Amino acid sequence: MELKFFWVQVRELTIASLKSRYRKTFAGFVWVVLNPLLLFGVQSLVFKSFLKIELSNYYLFLLGGLLPWVFLSSTIQMSTPIFVTQSHLLRSFKINPMVILSAQIFDNFINFMASLFFTLIPFYYFYHKSFLGLSLLPIALLPLLIGTMALSLLLSLTNVFFRDTNFVVGFAFNLLFYLTPIFYPKNFIPPSWHWIVDYNPILYLLEPFRQLIYFDGHQFLISLMKGLFVSITLLVVGIITWKRKRNVFYHRL
Amino acid sequence: MSSTIDSKVLLEANQIKIYFELEYYKHQGLRDLFITAVTHPIDYFFTKSELHKVIDGVSFKITKGMRLGLLGTNGSGKTTLCRCLAGMMSPQHGQITTQSEIRAIFDTGTGVMPELTGRENAYLLSRLFFPDLKDLTPIVEEAIAFSELGQFIDIPFRQYSKGMQARLMLSLISSRPTDILILDEVLDGADYFFQQKLSVRMKKFIESAGATIFVSHQADQIREVCDQVMVLENGKIAFWGNVEEGIQFYQQQHGQS
Repeated sequence: MELKFFWVQVRELTIASLKSRYRKTFAGFVWVVLNPLLLFGVQSLVFKSFLKIELSNYYLFLLGGLLPWVFLSSTIQMSTPIFVTQSHLLRSFKINPMVILSAQIFDNFINFMASLFFTLIPFYYFYHKSFLGLSLLPIALLPLLIGTMALSLLLSLTNVFFRDTNFVVGFAFNLLFYLTPIFYPKNFIPPSWHWIVDYNPILYLLEPFRQLIYFDGHQFLISLMKGLFVSITLLVVGIITWKRKRNVFYHRL
Repeated sequence: MSSTIDSKVLLEANQIKIYFELEYYKHQGLRDLFITAVTHPIDYFFTKSELHKVIDGVSFKITKGMRLGLLGTNGSGKTTLCRCLAGMMSPQHGQITTQSEIRAIFDTGTGVMPELTGRENAYLLSRLFFPDLKDLTPIVEEAIAFSELGQFIDIPFRQYSKGMQARLMLSLISSRPTDILILDEVLDGADYFFQQKLSVRMKKFIESAGATIFVSHQADQIREVCDQVMVLENGKIAFWGNVEEGIQFYQQQHGQS
């Protein structure tokens, strides 16, 4: 019952947040979908045509990394300051802070699904790929969603205690974009530098999606297991941290 | 939470303590933390941080029909105690036993989404307050009518004055009976006439159901709303009893006539 009420609150807040965001905008939703598409267009031009990365079906490869990355990084960057910006509301009423955080994440997830729909379907058609694989999409996105929630929770809590977290996160994600194999494959990295990727939890969250749409699912199950392990571990750490810091949280808001 | 034995007891607090490590007040950012760790490593890693006891072993019962006024100077632990009763915080020691529905409001000057209209905020907020309710329309529309905001209800919430925000929030929170209502210094925003109107509504509301915990610095408001008073001092109960005696006790403590 508690979970049902939690979901009702998240759903309402997500709808209101979408409504609020697109009010008084010229093209609203279009910008949100257009943003990752433009990013994709420019990057594929630079990496494929200028830098000539040799990889078959490079557009699909890039898409498989870039779209989940845009979702993960933009969600985390929007969520990190959320408790501080909504501190007035959180201090005023008995509202579960997790409702506010989850609504922000679902708001971004809806936008992500929309851009996925507008890009992935034409690409699948163009590359004559089987649409059967797409039925596994919800499972492939599970580690990404859980991991994004967990990282958002951890970083937004940290931001309550150390307000500079927000700046560090913005900067760190700029660096991580280059250090995570998003626009290049992992095997481009010399073996002596592999540790950079091996210890990067974000890659494990992105990988199942790319495995599914680019590699036709050879390693899908393994990457899914790894992704679920990393994301659930992060979520457990996040929940324990929240439970332990709950009192001080209100004091520091 | 376990059930209460006496059906008239809505909530029982037993020896609750809440404390914070003073450490948290010292550092404002990662930079400060880093500087302390580098310049005073021994202090940083080995000194146990001091504890600031905000609530220090408080026990009481809230019974049906009670209208409890909570008095205390700034920093005496009133808001922390209310947050704890509302279930926002949990005590490090002792326990709060209740099966009651508790609704708490600590500030009226806030909307969920300032860009949305007052009406939209009212619906959203009541959804957050009452996730169990299927149809919100009757209670929200009743609250809107009670708030007397008229055509202002359909303008963005961010354009509301403090008093208008308070009217809407207070109308909403008292729109549906609850077991325990906690109001923490929230009447101050509303004008005198609305306070009078609200006080009548609250009296009716209290009669129909549970209890009210009312925090205020205004003696007149306490007299108007409450039938007994608790004075908190340094996280402990310094007085509990009659309203007039309580107000007198509080004022004497701080050298007021």
